[in-house]
Formats: sequence, structure tokens, C-alpha cells
Amino acid sequence: MSFDGFPPFISAQLHYLLNHFPDKIKVEQVLSGGKSYTGGLDRFTLLIPYCLDHIKWDVIYNAEFPLSPPDIIFGPDDEDFHPLHATGGEGEGDLKSRTRSVLSDWNNKDPTRLLALIQELRDQYMSYQRKRVGEVDDDRLKFEISTILSREGIEMHISSGAEKPEEVKFSVPLMDMNINKMVHACPWRHPQKIYLQVIYPVGRKYASTPSAPRLKLMSTIELRVLFSVDDVKLPPWLDGMCLAEYLPHLEESLEKQVLEAVSLIDIRRRFIEALAPLFGRPLEADPIFCRKATFLESSGSFVFLVHVLISTQFPKQQPALMLQSSQHISPQGVPKQSPLLTDYPWSPRWEASQMAERIYDFLVDESLNFKRFCNESQSQH
Amino acid sequence: MDDLVLQKIAISGPTLASMIQRLSSSPADVDGLLFGHVTYIAPSTLPDDSAQTPPDSQLVATISSFLSFPSLLSFYDSLGRVDSSSLTPHLDHKSIIGWFSSRRKTPLRPSVREFSVSRSLSSIPNLSLPVQDANFNSHFSPSIFLLFTTPIQDQFVQTNQYRAFQFQSAKLRFNPVSIDIVNIGPAFRGHYGSFSPNSALPFLNCELRSLTAMNEDRTEEKLTGMKQAAKDQSELDMCTEGMQIGRLSRLIGPEAVNYTAGLEDLYQKMLSKIESLARLVETSSAKVLEQESHNRKLRYKVARSTGVE
Repeated sequence: MSFDGFPPFISAQLHYLLNHFPDKIKVEQVLSGGKSYTGGLDRFTLLIPYCLDHIKWDVIYNAEFPLSPPDIIFGPDDEDFHPLHATGGEGEGDLKSRTRSVLSDWNNKDPTRLLALIQELRDQYMSYQRKRVGEVDDDRLKFEISTILSREGIEMHISSGAEKPEEVKFSVPLMDMNINKMVHACPWRHPQKIYLQVIYPVGRKYASTPSAPRLKLMSTIELRVLFSVDDVKLPPWLDGMCLAEYLPHLEESLEKQVLEAVSLIDIRRRFIEALAPLFGRPLEADPIFCRKATFLESSGSFVFLVHVLISTQFPKQQPALMLQSSQHISPQGVPKQSPLLTDYPWSPRWEASQMAERIYDFLVDESLNFKRFCNESQSQH
Repeated sequence: MDDLVLQKIAISGPTLASMIQRLSSSPADVDGLLFGHVTYIAPSTLPDDSAQTPPDSQLVATISSFLSFPSLLSFYDSLGRVDSSSLTPHLDHKSIIGWFSSRRKTPLRPSVREFSVSRSLSSIPNLSLPVQDANFNSHFSPSIFLLFTTPIQDQFVQTNQYRAFQFQSAKLRFNPVSIDIVNIGPAFRGHYGSFSPNSALPFLNCELRSLTAMNEDRTEEKLTGMKQAAKDQSELDMCTEGMQIGRLSRLIGPEAVNYTAGLEDLYQKMLSKIESLARLVETSSAKVLEQESHNRKLRYKVARSTGVE
């Protein structure tokens, strides 16, 4: 995003926050509080990741009074969240006094201050939500919390809308492994993680057996290029089960699958290398995850590109191919492309060289079809 | 201490209008103090149905005036702690019943700092004010918070949004309170039942000297009153430029013609005095404006100079 309209002191602090926060923060509704726009933009909404969702906090600086720290408005559901009010509860005092000190010796020249403030407030928000969840009168929930609280990084959230039934959501980070380190030349800035989202319905006190929680695997977005959690089949939740029982099995099987996904990078790399003797050196190839390679080919005088798109399920799933003409351009100025081609002879048990040969053979015929398609659509115009 | 729960907040149309005018003409966000009084009003409608319990008497807060500060963090610090010593200069003849905050293009919900300021303000013991017409000795802490903002999208018509809250220190919560805008006119006559003037205009007992003879039996009680009246008289004499009030009686009758000139002279003196006052005000407000724009320039300078390092 652009930081043009901000006074420099706000822009520096916001920049620092976005670049150094451990997760991805979005900025929305950037506005000016001045009577005219001369003072510059000074208020915005931050979308801060929390418990596999976002919390929206409005940050209000004042361009006219650069020396005073920003004020913050929390979400409409959090009217009992008072991070500055010292209640002297267990352990809370420390967190609050830290937040207070960030605000009381505010320095607008220090670009790290907004980050420090948001981090302190988010920590407090976490303990505020945990406290609220702890106050819910539900025996199963109380048991789950007592057995699972020792796990690091668990976030909880209680949602209580007027229409929706009350629910408690847990976000449980899975596996104590550093996926970033496992990928050679890893391009990810934020640590990649897989989480289990567990949603417990609350309030059905008289049900004989508590209903199973809703489970869903989620991952950081960038991880999808290596491993898709949608492909994972979750083990069944048995009656009377608790999270502490469920998680070890899930983690064990996930760990195997992630390791496999990492080892598949090399298989894909070898496949791309096997394509080179037939197709020539790739014009472009994804060197880290090996999910894509592009080759320049010709059939007689017809010159075209071959895009090879390799899924994370390779070699079980064959690569998708797409042809793109270098000579035919649509009236909109876009090069002519074939649809994704996935229907051609394939066996995951073939050697990489044989896979490459079969694809090459298939494309010799397919390129003629594609050339005809391009010429026909061209002559229509 | 249990909080007294307000049923509504009353504000006169002109007061609200002048507040909104002040807020929307200000270059940036502003906040300030609200002054007024709190009254118990006995319910005027009696239910026909005897089984129905009569409604409780209503607690109504009336906002009669406000004071806005030229800068943020004026009577509180960055943590929202109110500095009670900074409030004392604004307290003569008036009582604080709460405060207000105006910030453009923000959600109409109290912020972290606003929560802290409201909590701090309502917990200062010597600020609480007695409730008028109450049948028991109750005190109201300055717990009203008035929030003003403007819509996030720019509007063709200037739009202001406002919402009033009462801070409840026992629950640590803001309780939304409805605002009643009291206007002049027959429909609103009932609202002035609890009216009390707020101006500090002294009661001038000018006729005192001529009437003392008739009230001799009550002189002792009136001794302090007489002292006050004498003080008032001397204040009034200063305004009359040496023209004594007794001389006014000669305006009627045959002598009148002679005195018109004298009276005209008095008016002239008064007019010139007013004119010089007006000029004084003019020059001083020009100076204030100059200083304000100078301050703004300095603040911009600070804002620009930072980030660069």
C-alpha cells in the first residue's frame, strides 16, 4: 500500500508495524480527521490476525498533535476489554503496566512504538478472551481448557451474537516443527504453521453427551504452495473424546504428510529436469517449490509456449499443461491460450524420463489442434 | 458507592448547536468539559390503573454549557488519567457533570482512552455534585460522556453523529442514555420546570436606601443583605459614570428637559466605553488567532521533522 498521505511520523510507525509484526496485518479505511485534508491522513483500521480470524481495531492518531500517542477503538463485541484499567488480577498487572508504559512514555520519533503498542494490546486481548472462555459454565469446556492450556500458542475466542448461539473457538497450533527451515532457500517471511480450529457449541447444558466439536484444519496462506491442508483427512472424533486425546494422533499423521510434501519438491525437480532433454531448457521454472515450468516450443513455423503446472499431489496427480501461442493475440491484446489439459495417458509409477516422453508425444499431436484453433479464431475476426 | 442511573440527558437546542458549531469548525479533534446540573423530576403522569406501580421519579441531567480545549490531552494524560488540579480554574459557579470528545470519521464507540478518562473523572470525589430536588442527600459524580463523530464516507450535507453515555463505575461500563433536545416553544414549556439560571449576574437591590425606613423591624436580619447591596451599588455606580440613580426620578415632570442632556451625556460615555471594549476584544482575538496559527505551524514542523531521522 502507499504511505503518501500520512505525515512522516505516522507513516514510519505504520511501516515498521507492517514489516515487523510476526503475522500479516491489513490496513483499511485510511482517513483524515482534519477539517480539510491539509493535515494528512491520521486514522485507519487494522485487521489483526487473531484465533484464525481478524480483530478490527481503529487506530486514531492526530495529525495536528503529533506528540500525543494514538487512541484505539476496539470491536463492538469487546466493550468489556479495558487494557489500561488496572484491576490487579493474577498476572494481568504485568501486562497492563507494560502497555501503560508504552503509552506514558510515547515518543513519536521512535518508529517501533506502534508495533510495541499493538503487540502489548494483542497479548492482553488474548488473556482477556481466555478469561472470558474460562468463565463459561460448561463442564466439558472447563475440562478441555484444564488439559490443554499447557500447549503453547493456543488462542481462544468466544462469540456471542444476538442471532447465533454462543460458541467457543480454539486455535491450536500443531506440530513443533519449523517448516520454513525444511525448505531449501525458503522465501517465506512469516513462519508457516498449521492450526486446528476447534469450535465448541456452548449452552446445551442438558444434552446427555456433549456434541462433537467442529474441527477444521487451517494453515498460513503461503504454505499452500507446498502442502494443502484441504487434502488432509481428519481422523474421526469419537464419542466422549477430548482434545488432549485427539491431538497426538493428528499431529503424528500430519508430521508424516508434511515431511512427504517436502520430499516431493525433489521429485518435482527431477521431473522438470527430465523434461529438459526433450523440450529444451525451460524459459522459466519455479526453483524453490518446483510447481511450474515454461518451455518454448515450435511445430513447423508455429511457435508457442508450454506451461507445465505441477500440483502438490504429483506424481499421483498428473501435471496440468497449457499451451500459449506466441503468434496469435486476441482483440483484447491477450495471447491465445489452450484450456488446461489434464486428460492424457499417465501413470505415477513411470520413471521421470518416461513421463516426459509421454507428455512430449501427447503434445506433438495437441500442438496441431491448438494451431488450428488459433488460426480459426483469428480468421473469424 | 452505588451509581445513580440517569434516565435521560437534556440539552438545549442552542447549546447543542453551538457545541456542534465549535466541533465542526475546529481543525482537528477536540474534547472538553460539560457543565450543568442533575435534577430529580417526579413523574407527572399518574397511572389510571391502580395495580400498576407508579414509575420511579426520573433523574435528569441538564447540560447547560461546555468548555472546549484548544489541544488534546489538556486535562488528562496519555493514559487517560485526569489531572484534577487542571480542572479547578474552570470550577467557579459551575459544576462539571461530564466531558465530551469529538473525533471525525471514527466509529461511534468509546475508545480506550475515553474509557479511562471517564473512569478517572467520575472517581474524583470532590467533583461530585448534589442532586437537586432529591428527597435524600445524594450526589452525582461527573460520569456523562458525549461522543461526536462524522460519517466515514464524505457526505454532501455536513453530518454529525452523537451519542451520550453514562459511565457506571460499579460495572465499569458505558450505559447509553437518550438525549432530549430542549427547545423554546409551547410544546417544550414543561421542560423548563427544572430551569435554573446559570449566569452569575448579581442581584442588584437598588431601591434599598429608600425602603429601609419601612423595614426597620427587620434590619438585623437584613444587615448582611445591606452590606451586599452596598457592594452591588458601588459596582453599579462604576457603570453609571457618576450619574446617581436618584437623579433618574427628576426625569419626570417639569425638570425633565434639563436632564435629557445629562442623560444623553451618560449614554455617550457608556457607548464610548463599550466601543473601546469592543476594540480591545477585537485586537486580543486577532492576537489569539495569530498565536493559534503559529502553534499549528510549529506542530506541523514537528510532525514533518520526525519520520525523516
